[in-house]
Amino acid sequence: MSNHLPAGAGSGGGGGRAGDSGLRYPSNGKTIYHRPLNRTKTAELSKAAFAYLFAEMVSYAQRRVTGIQELEKRLNLQGHPIGLKLLDLLLFREPPRTQLRPLNIIALLHFIKINVWTHLFGRQADRLEKSSNPDTPDEFMIIDNEPLVNAYISVPKEMSQLNCAAFAAGIIEGVCDGAGFPARVTAHTVGDTGEGGEMWPGRTVFLVKFQPEVLEREALIGAKS
Amino acid sequence: MSYYFAIIGTQDNPLFEYEFGTSKQGGDGMARFTEQARQLNQFIIHSSLDIVEEVQWTNGQMYLKLVDRFFTSYISCFLTASNIKFLLLHQPPSSSTLTGGTSRTSTSIAANPTSPQTEEAIRNFFAEVYENYVKAIMSPFYRTNMEIRSPVFRARVAAAGRKYL
Amino acid sequence: MSFHFAHSSKPWPLPSRIPPRRQRHGNLLKKKGSLIASLTVFSLVIINKAGGLIYNRTFHEGGLNKISTNDYLVLAGTFHGVHAITARLNPVKSAPERPLSNSIPGVPGGILTRPEPPSGLEVLESENFRLQCFNTLTGVKFLLFTDTTQTNVDVIIRRIYDLYSDYVMKNPFYQLEMPIRCDMFDRKLLSYIREVNNR
Repeated sequence: MSNHLPAGAGSGGGGGRAGDSGLRYPSNGKTIYHRPLNRTKTAELSKAAFAYLFAEMVSYAQRRVTGIQELEKRLNLQGHPIGLKLLDLLLFREPPRTQLRPLNIIALLHFIKINVWTHLFGRQADRLEKSSNPDTPDEFMIIDNEPLVNAYISVPKEMSQLNCAAFAAGIIEGVCDGAGFPARVTAHTVGDTGEGGEMWPGRTVFLVKFQPEVLEREALIGAKS
Repeated sequence: MSYYFAIIGTQDNPLFEYEFGTSKQGGDGMARFTEQARQLNQFIIHSSLDIVEEVQWTNGQMYLKLVDRFFTSYISCFLTASNIKFLLLHQPPSSSTLTGGTSRTSTSIAANPTSPQTEEAIRNFFAEVYENYVKAIMSPFYRTNMEIRSPVFRARVAAAGRKYL
Repeated sequence: MSFHFAHSSKPWPLPSRIPPRRQRHGNLLKKKGSLIASLTVFSLVIINKAGGLIYNRTFHEGGLNKISTNDYLVLAGTFHGVHAITARLNPVKSAPERPLSNSIPGVPGGILTRPEPPSGLEVLESENFRLQCFNTLTGVKFLLFTDTTQTNVDVIIRRIYDLYSDYVMKNPFYQLEMPIRCDMFDRKLLSYIREVNNR
């Protein structure tokens, strides 16, 4: 707490320094602070507009990358801040009764599967799974049969490892990190294997791997309550 | 009654701070902290972070109500979804300026930091600040744990303080 | 061949005069007892604005003779040239004269009009197939080879254009003017043409 700025301290009652801060306001004088946060809840966006924007984001991320992993990393980074912000926005929009911070992994994953997915893609994620491998109790899977971000994307054969839903994985990672459950989230295509693979060639698994301290805390809280 | 409001980031770093006084019952909205108390307030807030962290994972509510007390300073806390802490230190007028009896029996928010009315007033204050905080972080130029510098945000916090406290 | 009648619910509205004609055709087939399905989309060729072949796919074996990819390249280039010359032959209609009085010049009824762009060769027909060309505003040409009796070719071409603008143009890995290699486009196109050919 040592780096307080003098401008912040002791300016009791002194708001409205807008005039001399050099900030520029929209011509109608309305900043985001003048608009309600709730109104656009049911509004929809053009899928085509998103598709073109996302295509450009992928092309942008692709510039001067050395490999597929780096490209996925960059897409992930583009999504991360969105997740951080969505977490606060979506919880703010919850009705006061259910306005609870997710305290355990299951609550968090449900929040992602239902609230985040519905907000972003207009429907819930298709499935939630826990890793069946006893060696990796820290791994959880969110499954989407046809991710909206990949709706128009055909990945060339030489890049078959790539899944552009790494962007959505970044959003999930942002939500997890923000809620205090640091994790690594990666997107994997599993369309060609498993049951129903014929029907959903673009099926994507978002693998959520939590940091060890998250499970440690989970065990502690579980023991306490 | 004087208030000291601070927003603390996830690394226990201050993002925003604001001092103000009550505007109820003819208050002029000016903080009445002594120079020494102003330095102390930061320490008090900082030390209460430990207590906040204790309840953080057992209580899913955002508004954690009164969490700490240091002599005549009371600290209320609000935790956002992304674990940013809103801390409000409130200090009733010191008993040297008022007779001890009246400050305890009065029902005004200013004099009675532990009453349900005070709790509700602070809840409303936090709710309004939270709304504006969410708007502040929606800025594409804002990243987590960055200082909030928007003058509009500051004005909004001041308005919420005037309105409820 | 009963399936010719079975599909009355079509994804787009058909003009009312179509069903009797289809029916007649179905009867014809029955009489012949022929195994060669008629009413067929044979193949699709897409030519970029420079006349290069960027996509070529055959949907129905046996409808057309096989020619080499090289020949398809020549076909694309040649068609492109012929199309350009025929477009020059086409007289550009000047905008109709409008009354001189109070209307604003160039804005009749408030709507800006400009002359139709000259269209070139659109349909080419032989005894066994019909070639329809659809030229987009950006100069990409879709050539569809169909059976001579295929109806609603313009609707089919439109739909292919839709698929192209969705699954090719919105794909970040597609480079403009380059050959189209998009799995998703192939998949959607094939399933659409299969639906058309089985109707």
